[in-house]
Amino acid sequence: MIQLFHVSKYYDRRPALHDINLQIKKGEFVLLMGPSGAGKTTLLKLLFCADQPDEGQILVQNRNVARLRPRDLPHLRRTMGFVFQDFKLLPKKNVFENVALPLMVQGMSAFDTRRKVGEALKAVGVEHRQHSRPPSLSAGEQQRVCIARGIVNGPMILLADEPTGNMDPDLSSEIIELFKTINARGTTVMIATHNRQVVNQVHRRVVTLNQGRLVSDEGSGE
Amino acid sequence: MRRLSYFVREALRNIRGNRTTTLIAVATTAFTLACFGVFLLLYLNLRGVANSLEDDIQVIIYLADGQSPQAVADFQRRLRAEPEVATLTYVSKEQALADFRTQYPAEHQLLQGLGENPLPASVVVTMAPRFRSSEAVKRWAERLNGAPGVAQVQYNRDWIENLTAVMGFIELAAVGVGIILSAASVTIIASTIRLTLYARRDEVEIMRLIGATGAFIKIPYLLEGAVLGALGGALSLALLRGGFEFFKMQLGSTGRLLGIDSNFGFFPVRVSLAIVLVGLMLGGAGSFVSLMEFGRTRS
Repeated sequence: MIQLFHVSKYYDRRPALHDINLQIKKGEFVLLMGPSGAGKTTLLKLLFCADQPDEGQILVQNRNVARLRPRDLPHLRRTMGFVFQDFKLLPKKNVFENVALPLMVQGMSAFDTRRKVGEALKAVGVEHRQHSRPPSLSAGEQQRVCIARGIVNGPMILLADEPTGNMDPDLSSEIIELFKTINARGTTVMIATHNRQVVNQVHRRVVTLNQGRLVSDEGSGE
Repeated sequence: MRRLSYFVREALRNIRGNRTTTLIAVATTAFTLACFGVFLLLYLNLRGVANSLEDDIQVIIYLADGQSPQAVADFQRRLRAEPEVATLTYVSKEQALADFRTQYPAEHQLLQGLGENPLPASVVVTMAPRFRSSEAVKRWAERLNGAPGVAQVQYNRDWIENLTAVMGFIELAAVGVGIILSAASVTIIASTIRLTLYARRDEVEIMRLIGATGAFIKIPYLLEGAVLGALGGALSLALLRGGFEFFKMQLGSTGRLLGIDSNFGFFPVRVSLAIVLVGLMLGGAGSFVSLMEFGRTRS
């Protein structure tokens, strides 16, 4: 599903990632651990094609992202979902419109959009807030809406960058349970976090980065 | 269809969300097009006047004295065969004298002192419509000047050339002013769209990340620019119409007396629509410029 071969990325000549080799299979649940500045977000950005590696190759669903033509990029992204720490919801659109955006850009019919958005909101438990605007929601609700937007188009891969950051333990636990449910339906999930509680709760594969280097890969079964 | 309604909705939302910058952009486009419109209005009206004056363009061919009636008749026949000639009137020496006496009753004694009638016979030619340009009249008159039996060729060359020069100047000024102000308008609209894009850069980024194509992101902004431009075009027409009516009112009875009033007219419908269309295109171009810059910096 995802393969990285000797991937390096530099910012101002400093390595944000250095010689990373990683393979993630379809349906896996992977936690990307490490302290702040370890390179977790950089790695996710490379996987989401928001940036390009300076060295090495990245294959996502057997497509080399470095050789992807700009016009093919949106189509690859439509097969992936992304959950942000700061939610990145559009404040002037209500919950329904925010979640419907990925379907809108694909040109899905109004009927199918209503159905799929309804399902996604129900899956994350915020269907009752569909007419509310993001600023009126709690942090937990906003993160659920962000997850709903990430899964609404049935992505093959769901990437999440610190999805439980700034949340209390109970709320954090609820959000992680949601990701486990999504993974159980067959979606490959990769979560970047520095929260040890998440590791204890999930008991899945943990890839640890430190200063841009992959320092451990536990629970991969290989 | 659903996408189209989304694009229109988003464009209108942008316009409503940025009222101040929208007003500035519309007002600037309106002012720009109004300045250009003043020249255009002047040019079109002067061209109308020039066309009506050109209908009166006549060339007078004075004949050499002492020609036989047969030679004069042959000369007239040859002229009629030329494509430049629309109508032709022969004025004999006697007719010329009679006309002079009618037009200048106080001065006709001057000619009596000379004894013999000094006025030459002439042929007055009205030029065919496609030969009424200054150049064509000049060329034809010069060719006739050397013809046998022709004493002199006269035509109202000065005012034709003056009018052509004035029209050329107005054309040049209109094009120059049009280009400069159009560039200003495109720049202002580009800045407006740039401000909108800057204010919504996070939204644009999110749209990219969820798989929106460049076209899907850009079309609402292009529409926004086009709508602003078209609104500016429409407002400029309103300003021009107001100014035109005020000018006519100020001209009042003096204009009617001089016959100017009836000759002056506002833009026909197709020119008015063209001005709105130009505004729309300028707006679209402004959006396009800012989107190109935005694409370069954030691709």
